[in-house]
Amino acid sequence: MTDRDLDRIIARMNAPRVTRRGFLAASGLTGFAAFLAACSSNGASTAPSTAASTAPTTAPSTAASTAASVAPSGPPGGTGTTEGKLFMYNWADYIDLGNIESFKAQYGVTEFTYDTFASNDEMISTLQGGKVGIWDVSAPTADLVPALVKGKFIQKIDWAKVPNAKYIGPNFKKQWWDPTDEYQLAKDWGTTGIGVRTKVVKEPVDSWKAFFELAPKYSGRIVVVNSQGDVLGPGLKALGYSLNSTDTTQLEEMRQLMLKFAPHVLALNSDTYDAQLASEEAVLGLVWTGGINDLIKEPETADTRYIIPTDGTLYWVDTFVILADAPHPEAAHAFLNFIHDPQIQAIETETNQYATPNDEAKKYVSAATLNDPTVFVPEAILNSGTLETSKDWSGDEQRADIWAEFSSKIGK
Amino acid sequence: MATVTTPAPKRASSAPRFRSGLLTGMLILPAGLWYLVLLVAPIAIVIVFSFGQRGATGGYGGGFSLDNYATVLRRPEPILTSLYLALVGTLMCLLIGLPLAYYIATRAGRRKSLFLILLVIPFWTSFLIRTYAWLMILGQTGVAGFIGDLIGAPGFRILGTEWGVLIGLVYGYLPLMVFPIYVTLERMDRTLVEASKDLGAGRWATFRQITLPVAMPGLISGSILVFIPMMGEYVIPQILGYGQVFTMGNALVLRFLESRNWPSGSAQAVALILVMLVSVTGYLWYLNRGRRDRDVSIL
Repeated sequence: MTDRDLDRIIARMNAPRVTRRGFLAASGLTGFAAFLAACSSNGASTAPSTAASTAPTTAPSTAASTAASVAPSGPPGGTGTTEGKLFMYNWADYIDLGNIESFKAQYGVTEFTYDTFASNDEMISTLQGGKVGIWDVSAPTADLVPALVKGKFIQKIDWAKVPNAKYIGPNFKKQWWDPTDEYQLAKDWGTTGIGVRTKVVKEPVDSWKAFFELAPKYSGRIVVVNSQGDVLGPGLKALGYSLNSTDTTQLEEMRQLMLKFAPHVLALNSDTYDAQLASEEAVLGLVWTGGINDLIKEPETADTRYIIPTDGTLYWVDTFVILADAPHPEAAHAFLNFIHDPQIQAIETETNQYATPNDEAKKYVSAATLNDPTVFVPEAILNSGTLETSKDWSGDEQRADIWAEFSSKIGK
Repeated sequence: MATVTTPAPKRASSAPRFRSGLLTGMLILPAGLWYLVLLVAPIAIVIVFSFGQRGATGGYGGGFSLDNYATVLRRPEPILTSLYLALVGTLMCLLIGLPLAYYIATRAGRRKSLFLILLVIPFWTSFLIRTYAWLMILGQTGVAGFIGDLIGAPGFRILGTEWGVLIGLVYGYLPLMVFPIYVTLERMDRTLVEASKDLGAGRWATFRQITLPVAMPGLISGSILVFIPMMGEYVIPQILGYGQVFTMGNALVLRFLESRNWPSGSAQAVALILVMLVSVTGYLWYLNRGRRDRDVSIL
């Protein structure tokens, strides 16, 4: 049992989904994960040099055949136009390694480097620290885009060189983070939802309202991700408000709800919430999708469910951007176009297990993945209009204060 | 008399003195620069930032306000939690560390080096891995589950409580307490103890009047070495405390990473530095009171 927990924690820390939105990662877990990866001979390393030998999940043959089929849809001028190099700055393990190889082969790119960041804050701080002109492509979360534009850290995309952008669905165009669609290309997206061990929790938990109402009953067995926006947003949703509400009385109402909720919470844990759900130490969770699909696949924890609440929740969108003074702008544009080729994009979806904003690519995604609520949001909820993206509320003092007070009252 | 002190020998002696002064200066220069660039300057920047305002997209945006300190005072829980944990943790380290150091220094004999190596060996492994190991040991499938079964309370938890955090803190910092005490006791003149016993003092009186005063400098530096990092500790409360134990470290991370509010975070940091400064100075003052003969300093 203990061994299994340890395995799970180690696997979790090595998994790309953790580093995507992990919180502790910023304080050194990435180093730890790298250490573990170095220890295990077959661990997927973040170093691009090992890309060829360890290309996971996707058979190289598929990648190669699809690569051949995309060639005609490449940019005008084809393969000869890139600089032969591409420097990426991204979340760890966030591009399918087989796809990287296909891209290199197709566009004559001989040098593809992949540096990682563990949080949006780390990404923008690095740029603010003067590291401009080093990387070509990055994929921060959408709410960071306005700050990147304001700081002149990213450049406008030349859409003539990215024809595949036409496949991007209307939900990801002309959004608040880039109203004129000049600076970013949606990469993938996902939700924050409710994790339940249905073996223990028999009641239906299909809304945030139900979730917060059930808290006293499962007091001390609830795990919550350690992220202000992901937790306060559902509080507002449970009350029927927008998670981007600026109404101070609505926010105060949410504060009261959160303070009533705090004593019942077992842990604020972004890194091993799935391990706590697996051991039934926690049976209810306000969680991300990462790790939950693994629990569902394992017989012992197959009763785990991931629920997207009917009263709405928040979703995040990660966006490809081309950095200001990118040393290889042609290769950067070529990459953006390449990665949104529908078949290439479908491989991305299967590898990363995050929903694609590319409507055409869904045709090539397996039915199992398409119907998995941890990856794609069911149509009914998608069309209900209750999903929202969270704006950048990092500067909102009232939210910061509510979150600080909530954090200090956990379990008390 | 004036002829006795001729200027010639003076000149002869001042040149080497000047040279040795230059040498001292050059030797101190690297360390001095180090402190200036990596300690003094950053603290100065933090203090300046702490009076500023958040920039539009985060970071530091200039300006002057006292709001950041008002925020710190409005939410004093993390300061109190950190202070409490550091004080109790230091006390526990003292209670465990003193007997251990005493045993190694005076009774371990030939195995002395072995014990010292055993104390150091855990440091060869990453601090994070060791802390995660405690997650296994103290969890529901470990010690907590065992105790829960014994007392018939299946929900018994150590993780996510102050005790879980304290166990982690004591484990992490105990060697920093043991080594300074060991060094002082190792140098202790054993004949003092014999003399004390010859003069009729019992075990307790000997310990109180001989061993403890000898070990005092070690106890003091050990306590400070342990107390300061415990005050600012973030990883242990975060992992073993499940976020239920909200410390200064947590508050700092929220301000810097969640709010991207450097001025507010800087104010938290300044508050942390002040609390440490006041407690350490108070501690030393308390030890020094009424003692003109022996000035106790940090190291």
